[in-house]
Amino acid sequence: MSITPRVEKIRLNYVNAKPCISYERARIGTESHKRTEGKPVCIRRAQALYDCCEQLPVTIFEGEMIVGATGEFRKCGILTPEFSWKWVDKEMDNFATRPQDPYIMTEEQRKFVRENIFPYWQNQSLEESFVNQIPAETARILIDTGIIDNDSKWRQAVGETTPDYQDVIFKKGYGGIIKEAEEHLAQLDIAKPEDQEKIDFYNSMIIAMKALIVLAHRYAAKAREMAAQEKDPVRKEELLAIAENCDYVPENPPKTFFQAIQTVWFTQLGGVLSENPLALNPGRFDQYMYPYYQADLDAGRITYEKALELIELLWLKYSEWVWTISANTADYFAGYNQFQNMTIGGRTSDGKDGTNAISYMALKATEDVKTHQPGLSVRIHADCPEEFMAAVTHLVSKGTGFPAIHNDQAGYEMLLREGYDAEVAMDWSNCGCVVPHNRKAGEWTAAVNVNFGAALEYVTNEGRSRLTGEKIVNDVIPVSQYKSYEEVKDAFLRELAYLVKHSVVGTVAAQRLHTQMVPRPFLSACHEHCMESGKDLSRGGAMYNVGPVLTGIGLAACANSLAVIKKLVFEDKVTDMVTLCKALDANWEGYETLRQQAQAVPKYGNDDDYVDDIAAEIAMFYYHQCHSYKDIFGSPFNSAFMGISNYLPAGKIIGATPDGRKATEPLTEGVSPYAGTDTTTPLAAMRSAAKMNHALHSGGTLLNLRLGEELVSTKRGQNNLAAMIRSFFSLGAFHVQFNTISTETLLKAQADPDSYRDLLVRVAGYSTQFVNLSKNMQDAIIARTAHKSF
Amino acid sequence: MQQGGYIIQSQHLSVNDGDGIRTILFLAGCPLRCQWCANPEGFTSQAKVGFFAEHCTACRLCTQVCPQGIDINLNLERDRCTACGACTQVCPHHAKKYLTEYKTVDELVEEVKRQMIFFRHSGGGVTFSGGEATMQTEFLRALANRLSDMGVHLAMETSAYFDYDKVRDILLLLDQLFVDIKHMDDAKHQQYTGVSNKRILENISRMKELKIPIVVRIPTIIGVNADEENIRATACFVRDNLPGAQIELLPYHTLGLYKYEALGLPLPPERFVAPTAEELTQLRALVESCGVVTTETK
Repeated sequence: MSITPRVEKIRLNYVNAKPCISYERARIGTESHKRTEGKPVCIRRAQALYDCCEQLPVTIFEGEMIVGATGEFRKCGILTPEFSWKWVDKEMDNFATRPQDPYIMTEEQRKFVRENIFPYWQNQSLEESFVNQIPAETARILIDTGIIDNDSKWRQAVGETTPDYQDVIFKKGYGGIIKEAEEHLAQLDIAKPEDQEKIDFYNSMIIAMKALIVLAHRYAAKAREMAAQEKDPVRKEELLAIAENCDYVPENPPKTFFQAIQTVWFTQLGGVLSENPLALNPGRFDQYMYPYYQADLDAGRITYEKALELIELLWLKYSEWVWTISANTADYFAGYNQFQNMTIGGRTSDGKDGTNAISYMALKATEDVKTHQPGLSVRIHADCPEEFMAAVTHLVSKGTGFPAIHNDQAGYEMLLREGYDAEVAMDWSNCGCVVPHNRKAGEWTAAVNVNFGAALEYVTNEGRSRLTGEKIVNDVIPVSQYKSYEEVKDAFLRELAYLVKHSVVGTVAAQRLHTQMVPRPFLSACHEHCMESGKDLSRGGAMYNVGPVLTGIGLAACANSLAVIKKLVFEDKVTDMVTLCKALDANWEGYETLRQQAQAVPKYGNDDDYVDDIAAEIAMFYYHQCHSYKDIFGSPFNSAFMGISNYLPAGKIIGATPDGRKATEPLTEGVSPYAGTDTTTPLAAMRSAAKMNHALHSGGTLLNLRLGEELVSTKRGQNNLAAMIRSFFSLGAFHVQFNTISTETLLKAQADPDSYRDLLVRVAGYSTQFVNLSKNMQDAIIARTAHKSF
Repeated sequence: MQQGGYIIQSQHLSVNDGDGIRTILFLAGCPLRCQWCANPEGFTSQAKVGFFAEHCTACRLCTQVCPQGIDINLNLERDRCTACGACTQVCPHHAKKYLTEYKTVDELVEEVKRQMIFFRHSGGGVTFSGGEATMQTEFLRALANRLSDMGVHLAMETSAYFDYDKVRDILLLLDQLFVDIKHMDDAKHQQYTGVSNKRILENISRMKELKIPIVVRIPTIIGVNADEENIRATACFVRDNLPGAQIELLPYHTLGLYKYEALGLPLPPERFVAPTAEELTQLRALVESCGVVTTETK
């Protein structure tokens, strides 16, 4: 229950309203681009943002204290045709009816964008350039195939960054950033070739910062205008306070908690309007907000309740804007998720525990409003206060899937391995799903999804897709010729290497285009080092340029499948490769006994080395493959086994697999077991997951477990859960997250969505409203084994 | 020779039989025949194969490997089953499964080692249960000594129906004890469990020398022992003979019935009824009024 009736009213609207598409940002931005043709692209993009901030409708919704809207609707998605308009053109007639993440867009709106916006971007969008430039061999497995997938890197902006509140925004204010940029400009020599690019960059940054100041001032004027007409004296005061805030921030460093939180939202809004990003992370919210809270408390300017109300209102702001994405992307990132990952708790740079009052308020706010955003992550270290652990397990017991629980030390080790200074590494926060990163870094944390199931399929089907029959790779021998388990495994790893290579090709091509076509003046201004380097974030301006992350999908399913081949074909000899592959061709029909035998072979997630060792070996191989390639900044690629909802679309294109899985069923996410096969205990699942070296997979690893809700309904149960988490982390693992909703509740919600609109579930690396998931996705969640034994 | 014994199950992540996260080792064999028993497979300390009909898909793999030529429904031909386990190896659905099987001390210690990290972080350990764990005395002694040397926190659930002096050295290794009093009236005790409560009550009185936390548990069943008179008598006995011990009322449950079916045994009488939450609260208050603290491990 929300802390105040005001918040509850906004919360109910958030829960019940359908998101609408606004084309205002696209319209104004397109008109702007028409006027700036021929200018440097960074200036054009900054100017488009400026024009939006000058012309977008300024709306203060009922009850709001934190203001700033992406468009005319309260729950609102925007369009970014400069990245891609084609998918919108192709799909928008079905926006309202598509199974995953539908939007409302009127016929009139559709007509308008088709006539007035899209024609301008014909042959000018990032998508078209990417598709035209990608080599045919790569395109065959990369473009909308589900084999390797990176469409979120050319149909969308990258996002995947964390504004630096600590060292830039709160310290300097946007006005201070402008001043500093002007000082740099004064030092540059336009006659020097290398300085010319910098001059453009600093100018683009200045325009982008001014843009948001203009928007803030328009909100101040609007609030004053509304205050003049407001009859309720309480609301009138509030509106005047809003006006005062918007006059002052983000231009100046905030003076109060209220102003700081408004600054956070304006910065988020600037990021959204400039590129509609995924994973624009709020970072370590408790660290940068606490000083303002304490100062206000000391001065008697704020109470706990007032501050919590503002935090809950911010949570709703994070949740009301919608990331507009293609149906394909929505399959991978299901549930209107914007991946704004917020990290609380954990150690500070000097190694001390950093939990404070705001850490607890953040947990409380998520419990109260049950919004799917921000993605709330916690860092747990060995000396984490018991009170914080209790607050974390309490929230777990509420069944929201939040928070995502991370090992402080493992995150630190991951960043050290990536070459961060120890001080910066210790100050890590999450990006998007479960990727440890830092606000000083530029990186692509979800560059490509790599379908391990495809590699397995080619090995067991002479290089062909089992569902379409299409020949994908040529170097595979007929199944009858495998003489040992090792030969099968090596063939699998060879195909996996092939997928990694083409993932690299696709990523580098996209990176190069990003530097040319979609520089990021606004978000570069939020980075400390871009100011010093005079370089855009997309061109390597950040202090650390960390290599792109290739996410492996289906690790457990492939380990289970190889275990079946090893045991049934080569050890017990109850079948042979040809028969097994025929069974797969037949989708197991007519091979029920063989399927039962395959299902009885040890499965990953039960602390059985027979199969867990195979998973660890695949993971290690994958790491070395990824790490052997470098991106355009010379940084090695990184591996990850994280979630998103990618294991569903990845499964859809894969025929039956030797583990007993039937065609098109979901694969496996992160380092989680195959749904329903971790039948021993969650402790065993944890031990299986901890057998690989998590610190190597610095793109993040993810374990999702379902617990029966009765397990954690008491304080004692929550304490035991805390002990489980600490045990798991002492084994070196990085992340675990729990769904604690009973199967009965999920089935009820599926049957009667209207009564369960606010039911949050953990998808994979994030939580979202259960009723907003497609039927397929809901079934996959229900299929996860619920552990009830304690 | 490698020491070992018959075990019903090693159950990890248990939290209701002692502190923290625990592994429960259910040892087979029991001198009592409680009519409500939830672990009837523990009656015998021999290997026993159960048949779980609802998991069976009639694939007949088990019939192909059975040296005795037993058909799918083992319970119809149970007298011929030697519990060789061939069927349990091939059944893909665990419809044929050992309900009790032989394990060596080493095997069990290896299993426990994998749980140690969870014990450490939760303050948990190992709980011996059954059956009646002391029935396989040498097996229990070996396990208890090995685990005690490893520094594992040890608890035991027992009926206290044993020769105290023969197991005293094992009891002295324990850190926590759960002991049942099923009925204070000896005639009724004999009627429902097949044995007299005399030795049980004597043994419980001697347990005060152990100086460890002890919980006396009453399997609370309407129609058997949940009447005020019996509960009061039990509480007074504990107050007078085992000072400091707590009492826990465990409501009767029917979660073990499927195992009767798997073994082809007759089901417990239907007149056994679990007390309602309200009745339990009243009975707890009664215990407290006698001067004994009640506890509930949930």
